[in-house]
Amino acid sequence: MKWQIAVDGRTIDVDSGQLDAVTQVEPGVYSVLLDGASYEIRVNESSEGLSVETCGRRFTVEVRDPRDTSRGARTSIGSGRQKIAAPMPGKVVRVLVSVGDSVDVGQGLVVVEAMKMQNEMKASRPGRVVEVRAMAGGTVGAGDTLVVLE
Amino acid sequence: MFGAVLIANRGEIAVRIVRALREMKIRSIAVFSDADRGALHVRLADEAEHIGPAASAESYLRVDRILEAAKKHGAQAIHPGYGFLSENAGFAAACADAGIVFIGPSAESIQRLGSKTAARILAKQAGAPVVPGSEDPATNVEQARKLALEIGYPVLLKAAAGGGGKGVRRVNEERELESAIRDAASEAERAFHNSEIYLEKFIEKPRHIEIQIAGDHYGNLVHLGERECSLQRRYQKIVEECPSPFVARHQEMRTAMGEAALKVARAAAYDNLGTVEFLADSQGNFYFLEVNTRLQVEHPVTELVTGYDLVQLQLRIAAGEALPFTQKDVRWRGWAMECRVCAEDPDQQFLPSPGTIAQLREPSGPGVRLDSGVYPGWTVPLEYDALLAKLVTWGPDRNTAIQRLRRALAEYSITGIQTNISFFLDILDDPEFLAGDISTAFIPDFLARRKPPTKPAPGLDLAVALAALTHFQKARESATIASNADAGRWLSEGRGRLLR
Repeated sequence: MKWQIAVDGRTIDVDSGQLDAVTQVEPGVYSVLLDGASYEIRVNESSEGLSVETCGRRFTVEVRDPRDTSRGARTSIGSGRQKIAAPMPGKVVRVLVSVGDSVDVGQGLVVVEAMKMQNEMKASRPGRVVEVRAMAGGTVGAGDTLVVLE
Repeated sequence: MFGAVLIANRGEIAVRIVRALREMKIRSIAVFSDADRGALHVRLADEAEHIGPAASAESYLRVDRILEAAKKHGAQAIHPGYGFLSENAGFAAACADAGIVFIGPSAESIQRLGSKTAARILAKQAGAPVVPGSEDPATNVEQARKLALEIGYPVLLKAAAGGGGKGVRRVNEERELESAIRDAASEAERAFHNSEIYLEKFIEKPRHIEIQIAGDHYGNLVHLGERECSLQRRYQKIVEECPSPFVARHQEMRTAMGEAALKVARAAAYDNLGTVEFLADSQGNFYFLEVNTRLQVEHPVTELVTGYDLVQLQLRIAAGEALPFTQKDVRWRGWAMECRVCAEDPDQQFLPSPGTIAQLREPSGPGVRLDSGVYPGWTVPLEYDALLAKLVTWGPDRNTAIQRLRRALAEYSITGIQTNISFFLDILDDPEFLAGDISTAFIPDFLARRKPPTKPAPGLDLAVALAALTHFQKARESATIASNADAGRWLSEGRGRLLR
């Protein structure tokens, strides 16, 4: 069976027969012997697909099932709105903007603290604040929307 | 010697102290918060006591609960580690009042040296060189503005009670001052319950070189040489070494700095272990910075080069033993280097990366020491410091230590969370670093000139694809089995995600 695998966006064609090169050595850890070279590769499921680590590098991998024909059009991006999301779990220390504010590129929006480090989330383009979901003192998870810009 | 010692800390340093105690056949008592019930230090200690919720203010900083735990478990002494209550004179005094030995200097010594402004005055009087700066903390923005003008920009703001880079800001010009003070003061307030800020002259591209000192109850004081900790990001040390490459080229500096450090220690009637920090400029002038009245994070590099176990030395001194050696016995052999492995993402501005460790492979082999506080399956809490482990190597010379460190980092693998391991590998290939040409400006400069990662070789891409496909098929097999057992709703959802 033929598979198409996207490794950091690069498409790799793989035949099921090539899987003989792979041995699972620990849960989620695979030893791959290819043309005499030995690779140790760690695979974990993540929100973006499979997160793969080897030789000190990280790859995001997507496996496309050849039998799955249901992949439709992707949701369109770019409605002009920009969601500023928390890049990591943490606590909201300060909210620096309110609804209606105009913001410039690089302007601080929200300060999130995790592991004793404060990080200021900044606007990556100019816009107007249409929604503020972050609350000072509140807890946020990775990917939670803090502020919506227009 | 003590029969039982409570460790008022967590993470890798609590594990380090458990090890020292076990070697000395002393009973170890761990304390833990809600977030640390399954932590490695709890697993390894002989006994353990719960002291409160995850927030440190309600657990690891609670003097009353820690003393209560010490009494309950019959601890004769408390080791505070670093951070938390380690430089809190009130805690040292409360231990003394409770009849428990605080493993560290006296409350009076901590008081004299704990405030950076007080320490500066003391160092100046004792005859140690100091950086130009304010003698008193700035109480308001107006006063800070005046002080900054006197000293001359750029100035550095620092928390009077601080450590670990908390509450530190560089201010280049007057218009940045007000917001920098506000940020530094609020960070200091949260970290130390003390928002006092003082100012000093910012020295261009200095080296951070510190002297390890040790003193007993009988007035014997020695220094154990220097450590260079110039590689810092946001004033947080990330790579440390002993000896300093700079001091190694200017041997007379070790003696001069050692003597300056001992002058300060003598003036503070210091006992137990401590570290006197200096800034050194490119001409070899050095300036007293501050004293850390506790065990230092980077103490292992000194241990590997001098051969002394510094935690055990602390215990012996606290128990009333005299220093088992004199200054002329101290020898420095070879070179040691340490990396602070942290849960942070070097590809995303070093954002913290708390979460569960999926897989872990720890390095070992010749010249490798790993002081770690984690294990596979452990969830790194977001409430505490991002330090996971310290990887330290020793070699007969700097090059060998670096080769071993690079090799050990390549063996080291932590998945499930992001770590700075790959970043260290990049640093250890940098020609300026290899030449020992470092300063506290090294990391910012390095980040600016760091090359983007090269494209992986086709073989690597294929190997990654094959491993991922194998994993995918295994996950689907177990999903099929699980859904046959009518328990597979979340698995099929997970599968849907993978197929996207």
